[in-house]
Amino acid sequence: MELGQIISTIVGGFLFPFLIATMWGRLVEAFGPIGGWMAAAFIVGTMWALNHGLGMVYQSGTAWIDMAWAAGTGLFLADVFAGKKINGSTVLAGILGGIIGGFFLSTFL
Amino acid sequence: MKFVRSTVGFAIAGMFVMSIWGDWAGAYGNLGGWFAAVAIIGPMWFMNHYIGLIDNPGDHAFVDMAWGIAWVGIMRDVFGVGGNSFDLGRLVSSLPTIGLLTVGAALAALAINAFNKIEAK
Repeated sequence: MELGQIISTIVGGFLFPFLIATMWGRLVEAFGPIGGWMAAAFIVGTMWALNHGLGMVYQSGTAWIDMAWAAGTGLFLADVFAGKKINGSTVLAGILGGIIGGFFLSTFL
Repeated sequence: MKFVRSTVGFAIAGMFVMSIWGDWAGAYGNLGGWFAAVAIIGPMWFMNHYIGLIDNPGDHAFVDMAWGIAWVGIMRDVFGVGGNSFDLGRLVSSLPTIGLLTVGAALAALAINAFNKIEAK
């Protein structure tokens, strides 16, 4: 892995949760649930084009690491740093859901 | 029950992202990937966070559906696609990317809180 790839992966991981935390809630406040679709398109879609379409997030190995990793950990850590309690049950549900969903996909892809 | 509900929400969102998205991006390039965000993240966010399939009490740190989506992508490749068998080594080989993204995410978490404090003044 080169220095450039290290830097671009960190920056890509910074941008995604930052954009979500800054805009997503405000879009829903302003437009209702349709604001969630706008966020999906203009935050997730546009961010994906940069992080994965153009490859700002470098893949070091053979298991796909999605920019979703950064969104999940970044938003979670932001609340933890702000002093909120950790919801172990939902965190665990995410990992278990990942194992189940990943297995289902591996049965036909 | 909340745990089961959350697990199902994470798994469904992850399955759509880690299958259709790549297919559309492969077929239509970056615009296919952009549209996949509208078609997949839109309804999955509505189900998981607007309706609230994933349990997120307000006094606890928010767990985004992205957390489960990321794990589906990892585990799909650990279980193996295209005739490959189970291999945890694939996850190990991807740990550097996981680490770097976590560093970026932690920096974002600091920035989010710092900027929130400025805004609150």
